[in-house]
Amino acid sequence: MTKYLLGRLLKGLLSIIVVVAIVMVMVYSLLDRTLIFASDGTYSKQTSNAKEVYKMQKWEEYGYIDYIPYTDYLKTLLSEGNIDQATYDSVAKFGDKASDDTGAVKEYVQKFTEHYESLGYKVERLAAVKQGNRYRDGGQPRLFAYRDIPILTRLWDYVSGIIKIDNIHYVKEDIENRGLSFTLHDPAYGGEKFSPAIMGTGTEYKYLLYFDSNFPFIHQNLITVRMGTSYSVNRGIDVFDTMTNSQGEFKKSLITYPSGVKAESADNIHTARYVSGSLANGDLVTKTNFVDDYTRITVQKSGMSKIGYSFVIGIISVILSYLLAIPLGMLMAKQKDKLIDKLGTIYIVFIIAVPSLAYIFLFKAIGGSAGLPTTFDMQNPTWLMYILPIISLALPSIASLMKWLRRYMIDQQNADYVKFARSGGLTEGEIFKNHILKNAIIPIVHGIPGSVLSALVGAIITERVYVVPGAGNLLTTAINQYDNGVIVGLTLFYSLLSVVSIILGDILMSLVDPRISFTTKRR
Amino acid sequence: MDEKLIDLGEFGLTDDELFARVDNDSLESERITAPRYSYWHSVFRVFFKNKLNIVILSLLAVIILFSYVYPLIIGYNAEVDPYINVMNPAAKNLSPMLALQKLGFELKWILGTSNSGASTFDSVWYGSGISISLALICAAINVTVGILVGALWGFSRKIDMIMTEVYNIIANVPYILLISVLVLVFSPSFWTMVFALTVTGWLAIAYFIRTQVIIIRDREYNLASRCLGTPIWRIAIKNILPFMTSIIVTLIATEIPSYISYEVFLSYIGMGLKDMSLGKLIETSQNAMITPGWEFQFWSPVAIASIIAVVLYVVGQNLGDASDPRTHM
Repeated sequence: MTKYLLGRLLKGLLSIIVVVAIVMVMVYSLLDRTLIFASDGTYSKQTSNAKEVYKMQKWEEYGYIDYIPYTDYLKTLLSEGNIDQATYDSVAKFGDKASDDTGAVKEYVQKFTEHYESLGYKVERLAAVKQGNRYRDGGQPRLFAYRDIPILTRLWDYVSGIIKIDNIHYVKEDIENRGLSFTLHDPAYGGEKFSPAIMGTGTEYKYLLYFDSNFPFIHQNLITVRMGTSYSVNRGIDVFDTMTNSQGEFKKSLITYPSGVKAESADNIHTARYVSGSLANGDLVTKTNFVDDYTRITVQKSGMSKIGYSFVIGIISVILSYLLAIPLGMLMAKQKDKLIDKLGTIYIVFIIAVPSLAYIFLFKAIGGSAGLPTTFDMQNPTWLMYILPIISLALPSIASLMKWLRRYMIDQQNADYVKFARSGGLTEGEIFKNHILKNAIIPIVHGIPGSVLSALVGAIITERVYVVPGAGNLLTTAINQYDNGVIVGLTLFYSLLSVVSIILGDILMSLVDPRISFTTKRR
Repeated sequence: MDEKLIDLGEFGLTDDELFARVDNDSLESERITAPRYSYWHSVFRVFFKNKLNIVILSLLAVIILFSYVYPLIIGYNAEVDPYINVMNPAAKNLSPMLALQKLGFELKWILGTSNSGASTFDSVWYGSGISISLALICAAINVTVGILVGALWGFSRKIDMIMTEVYNIIANVPYILLISVLVLVFSPSFWTMVFALTVTGWLAIAYFIRTQVIIIRDREYNLASRCLGTPIWRIAIKNILPFMTSIIVTLIATEIPSYISYEVFLSYIGMGLKDMSLGKLIETSQNAMITPGWEFQFWSPVAIASIIAVVLYVVGQNLGDASDPRTHM
């Protein structure tokens, strides 16, 4: 069984990678790249050569291409020690046209061109645009190399970077006391309260393991998930963090900064990350609060995360729908062709046939006139505002569960074992509860992990209609803003959930029904 | 009674000439004398026995008349007619009562006007024409391709292995992403939308059919048929397809409303058609839902979309029931 499941999981992971590759081809190759400039005010203001360069820079930021200006090439040579500062200064400025280059400049431009052309880059030299003796706006000469990132390189970089394990060699620069330390008294709480923590120097995160007052009380930063950095939806933040970070108003508490300064602040010291040179270049506040380069911190907010809101609404509606749909479906099957069955069928037809948007708006209108809050308000949360989204989500799933349970139970009613049980003298109630339900519920059980996990994904229309700050609308927002990193990350997340939920469903089904086995037994 | 009916002697012929021996025809004796049974005849007999179906069918006829013939009769022009009252602020956002008072007692004003002064009644019917066409075309393509591929998929074990992996992969590519990429690469026109909805839409249907084929494929009567040397395609067409007619009709019944619903959904999230379909109408008028006096702009397309979907669904379901031979007794 374990071997079989591992095989399934591996196959599933492989198909996830193929899915990610397909989506990468779709968003990076099929889509028109100039679309990202449609609403970019800066782009339309740029002129001549500067416009080309701006385009290249943006495309690099969105992840379409690899873009290397000539000066960046020289800077890498300088940092690797291949050339000295004097050579750098003398060759950094190149001529207005290729024919204007002389001596050393010509040599390095030649080297640059050969180096990148051999790597498959396209080297472009834009001659200066002049008016008399002066450059026009943005008309300076430009020299750069660029190439489309090959799909396999892109895929490999992405997949190999999904799970990141923090280590003390993360920081490339020299740093004192590289290593891990264990403390029983977390300095973030003033250094007196008992609170164990593992801290690192040279690692990306300062705190690798720590306790705090938020669920689940013990937290770690050793293993982090990187699903793709956002560019336009939530700039510079990873999709995973976008979905899991708390939202809403700042939640302030008394904290002690590394320098010993105590303050009422929403900063979460435990999330401190290394940013090279940030202390020296930082503002006054940074300089008074911190003693090292671990200055990048996230703030604590009072609301739940995007996934949190989606999950709370989703999971309650899932529980509600199973609790209601199973007895109702049984009742419909038992009273087949009677009033209850007919009423239930009308309800099912209504939900299946009427566009989901229409009945969600209908419930919003009905709920609103009944005095329920119709929009989500993170400032003054009440439990009432969860009611309408939960109902809107539960109604369709109740209908589909009822429909299938009724169908399965009616099909089972004609099975031989039912006739046998009846001839054996069992009452109809006993046959229904102990025999038919047990058989009919098996396909329903298969869907439970799927519906629980899909609560994490969120619901597009429901969340939009009730203004829920959930995860459901992330994909549509990302598509509208051409945020390729987010699109790819979400695809990974969705396909992982669907693969896992099918496998979990199979396991659950084989637990409920001992006849089902996924390994072929030798007979 | 002893009077002879015919005197054979009158003919003046011999017995050999009068009588011919009829051989025992083994082929004829095999024929079973049963009442004539025509499948489709029975389907419609059962279908029309239910009076509800006649009511619903006439409702469907009215809907089709209004969405296809009515715009033709009034010469509806999607480029001109929605904008006839753009310059007239008094004609905008009118409730039905006000519209009838201000703009004259005409059929087109009985649902009021939109926020650009267009007749809600006209736009709703024009839009439902587009939506119904989209749903019908998509359903036709997806169901045809889905059934053909699904039948092959169910029959051949080799194809099954490949297609199951393909299904696992394509089913995981977010559908909204696929549609939006296609809409952005081409343009949000009617045929792009048809392409986007059908390029992978058949896969789910094919998977469903595949499961049904696998269930029926190994039944005893098919095994017997194969042992007698019937070619596979004949088994597929003569043995299995009739068995699946009711499943296919039920499938079509759920498919058509689902495209109407999906079109509304896509328009709502901003990835729909650029034509004024029902979904687009709902999307553009969603702010009017709660404004007093403007509700008709929003609720009329919603109501029409719902009615169309319910009618198509019920007709399909009942036709599906009627096409199950077990109900023909």
